[in-house]
Amino acid sequence: MKQTTLSVVLEVQPQSADNLSALIGELRHREDKPPPGSSEQYGRLKNGVPVLHFMSLSVFPSADYDPIFVIEANFDGPAGVFWGQLEATLGIELRAMLRCCKKPADQDGPLYLAVTSPDSRVPLAPYLEARTLRPSVFHHGTRGMDRDRILREGELFLATRRVLTQSSPTLANPYRAMTAEQIHANLRAALQPDFPWLDIPAPIRISRIERAGDLARLIIFLFLLLACLSIPGAVIAFISPWQRFLVIFAVLGCVVAFALYLMRAPLEGLGAPSRSGGLTASSLSRRNKLTSLAHPATLAIAVMVLLALYIAVASAIGTALAVLFTGLPVETLWCPTIRVVALGLVSVFLFTIPALVFWLRRLERRDASHDAPPIDSDMMLKMGQREDRIAQNHMGSVVLVKPGVLRTLLFRTGHRGLGLVLRVVATDGYLGSMRTIHFAHWAFVNNGSRLMFFSNFDHSWESYLDDFIEKAHGGLTLAWGSCIGFPPTRFLVLDGASHGRKFKAWARHSMAVSRFWFAAYKDYTVDQIERHARIANGLRQIALTKKEADAWVRDL
Amino acid sequence: MGKGSMTPPASLSSAGWKLKAPHDAQAQGIVVSGFSDLYWAEALFLEADQPGSGWIAALRTVAPITDATAKQVRSAVLAFTCPGLAKLGLDEHDLGTFATPFREGMYQEDRLRRLGDKIDGKWEPTVIPGGPVWGGNNNAQTSGPFKTVHALLLLYDKTEAGVQNWADQLAKTLAPFGVNIVHKLSLNLQPGENKIAREHFGFADGMSQPIPYGDSVVVSNNPSSNNRPSERNPWHGVPLGEILLGHANAHHEKAPGPYVRSKTNRVADLTREGAPEGFLNLGLNGSYMIVRELRQDVAAFWNSLKANAERIQHHDPSATPVTADWIAERIIGRTRDGHLLCPAGAVPPAPDGQPENDVGFLQKDPYGHGCPLGSHVRRSNPRDGLAPDLAAAQTILDAANNHRILRRGRKFGLPASDPYHDDGQERGLLFICLNSDIARQFEFIQQTWVLNQNFATLFDETDPLVGPKGRFTIHEEGKPLRRIVEVETFIRMAGGEYFFLPSIPALDYLASL
Repeated sequence: MKQTTLSVVLEVQPQSADNLSALIGELRHREDKPPPGSSEQYGRLKNGVPVLHFMSLSVFPSADYDPIFVIEANFDGPAGVFWGQLEATLGIELRAMLRCCKKPADQDGPLYLAVTSPDSRVPLAPYLEARTLRPSVFHHGTRGMDRDRILREGELFLATRRVLTQSSPTLANPYRAMTAEQIHANLRAALQPDFPWLDIPAPIRISRIERAGDLARLIIFLFLLLACLSIPGAVIAFISPWQRFLVIFAVLGCVVAFALYLMRAPLEGLGAPSRSGGLTASSLSRRNKLTSLAHPATLAIAVMVLLALYIAVASAIGTALAVLFTGLPVETLWCPTIRVVALGLVSVFLFTIPALVFWLRRLERRDASHDAPPIDSDMMLKMGQREDRIAQNHMGSVVLVKPGVLRTLLFRTGHRGLGLVLRVVATDGYLGSMRTIHFAHWAFVNNGSRLMFFSNFDHSWESYLDDFIEKAHGGLTLAWGSCIGFPPTRFLVLDGASHGRKFKAWARHSMAVSRFWFAAYKDYTVDQIERHARIANGLRQIALTKKEADAWVRDL
Repeated sequence: MGKGSMTPPASLSSAGWKLKAPHDAQAQGIVVSGFSDLYWAEALFLEADQPGSGWIAALRTVAPITDATAKQVRSAVLAFTCPGLAKLGLDEHDLGTFATPFREGMYQEDRLRRLGDKIDGKWEPTVIPGGPVWGGNNNAQTSGPFKTVHALLLLYDKTEAGVQNWADQLAKTLAPFGVNIVHKLSLNLQPGENKIAREHFGFADGMSQPIPYGDSVVVSNNPSSNNRPSERNPWHGVPLGEILLGHANAHHEKAPGPYVRSKTNRVADLTREGAPEGFLNLGLNGSYMIVRELRQDVAAFWNSLKANAERIQHHDPSATPVTADWIAERIIGRTRDGHLLCPAGAVPPAPDGQPENDVGFLQKDPYGHGCPLGSHVRRSNPRDGLAPDLAAAQTILDAANNHRILRRGRKFGLPASDPYHDDGQERGLLFICLNSDIARQFEFIQQTWVLNQNFATLFDETDPLVGPKGRFTIHEEGKPLRRIVEVETFIRMAGGEYFFLPSIPALDYLASL
């Protein structure tokens, strides 16, 4: 089952911000402490919206903008079903909250008025869907696990514990004398009546179509990126003989490379060299087949093949376009087109990329960072009160994005690339060596002037941020480093988040209180969900080999 | 006591490292040493009933605070809580430069939840009934009597009588200043069986410590090293700034603060170096000291393990090695003499005969067949054990080493004569540790590792030694199913607080307030 992550960002009428926070607070209170006799905590939402994994409602105050109200949702399947279920469950509350928001100035204005007018019964879903933001980068730690399956396999795990428990303090437990294969067979026999779904094969978590789509999107992205980067070189290749072209670009390349060499080191006091945890090919994912590319030889071959493929495809498209515009025959056009495409490609690596990096490095050396962001002690206290109550925690943050053409281009492209790469390589929940994120996403708001981040993660906030600092600082610096006040970065991915204390202070200051937060399976970490899945997958099989059984039984 | 009492003075050091001049004369001795040859100690918890710092000078005439240069015939350590510093005369502005956890104290409501002491207004079973009896802030809302502590004075001597006389002398010295000893613990480090200092359950204590390195400030105390800077120990090396304020730490910076606004009319040797313009560096060569009084229930521990061993043998007649001792070793993760457990039994000793500690878990014991995944040593410092595979081992080890603490605790109370009989005596461990970032080091260990119910993909279990009653699972080689031990609550916190351990110049400054 494919999961969806989205957010709805609505501007709040400034005078109504406190009222909105109070409405969210009331909802939280009602769900947190339901009246005696009614359903369990958050039971209304859990039962009413069976596709929902995690959801939050927050209000972000800002010194630069009016407050925004953000609905963050992570659920199974398409958005339409989710909005329908949510409206049926929390429609009254949500409508009251929407009334605290501004009427959009664009074409959604009439719809807003229709859903917020007194006694309105106009469905909310179309409005919410119209105001939905798609994330720029997102990560799903339990890819392809629908909520029902996570809960079902969790119950199965608890049932295995009950079956394996000693029935009497003085009697021998029959399971203790068994081999792993016998334990499997007996446990399956004992559990099958209560869990008839064990007879059905496990649903496929990532379908071949989804996987092919992810890969195709990444390849198309890389293709377009190369094409764009080769434009300056390709233009010159039209008028320059290839020998002269190569000499000019080699000389330019050397000049830029030398300048970069001189600027490579961090400025005094701004470096944070880290021994490990950077963004390397092998850090992207641990068990993904594609990361066998982490080996330099396979990586080199793969890059060669991809570049050759690029020349072939780009030349074919280029020739076709040339035929269209000039009307000349293909035989006379294909040869010069290949020449322009190939020289353009050479210029990407000889000059364009080094020149962009040089430009970036110049910016980085002059960027100001926010060493001591003001921290509102009242907000801190409210965050502290809400954190560390269940196995997971939640954070939501909004920051300003650094201005400038290069920053914008790099940042947007970097996000798009990172998002596509994550879809392809992060299929087993791991980001680098960390696997503590259920659902996280970044999204640009206000025409890209602000970046929003939401995460539903395991363990404490401190440990989550420390994971980023210690195990995934490279990718994180890429994703967050172009925001105002971020600790000093180098070459887009170095230092940055390795300035641990400064990074934590910056992240904390960007956060708002998670006023309402729902987690559908509050006891299970990502690791635990995967453990349940291994146990369930074993039990779905009629018999295991000795080797399989020995590995399987370790999870019990 | 005098510095000339030993010729030549032996340098004060521990586990192969010491501080170089001038830092050794500035840091308190407890930073580099646990004073292991001074067996007897007294922990005096002080409360000042009126503002002022005059009592510090008087205290220092009777108990000069030991620096980190040379061994002394007896030693003293002095540290302050945040309310204690306010009582001395530090104003709100200066106190604001201290770390937030120190200022808020250990009993801040949300911190109590993170430390597993009090959840939703109820004290957890790992705290003595009614709540702790002492602390720096009186915001703990305890039901019983509560003593506010402003400072902790630790006295170390070679003899029991010596240290007690010394403590009496101090009580007399401090009384005229309105400074009272509101709580007192007699500590000792007497070696037991096999000449090993043991905690009350019978296990060698203080086995694995971080080893600081950094710049030229830390040197090896090995005579052949010629005062060369210490190299980074690959398993236990931490930058000096993890332990001592004012030096580069694991986040590649000198932890900011604490500072005081520079005033010309004070006679003190505080440096401006490392402090922002207009401030003096109060923190340099100081540290944050975490203290928790942990009472141990020896009879509950051994009786519970004996009952568990019997139950397990009924449960599985083939479980021949399972005895109370066998379970106890797995709860700790080491043998009684301090050797780490491994699938083959115990890790062989190092060439010097001491327990070998330069050991990773990932390669030698990935499934916890020797040293269980949830054992106290693995939860307190998982080393590379949380890595998903070998490629990630170095990253995970480096990450774990960003959360180390230097432990300086000692036990209090008499040894139990019969471990299976509850004699009603109070005994336990005065847990003391040093670190520079309380939230990232001490609190992280307690919350994310020790008490985390989901540590290392375990489920619904916490630290079997210091956590509350619950289950503890043990994997064994060749046995398909884990053993399940039902542990009781063996250790209860009776008081605790975060202290600031000032450097000698900082102490001079505080005394001059």
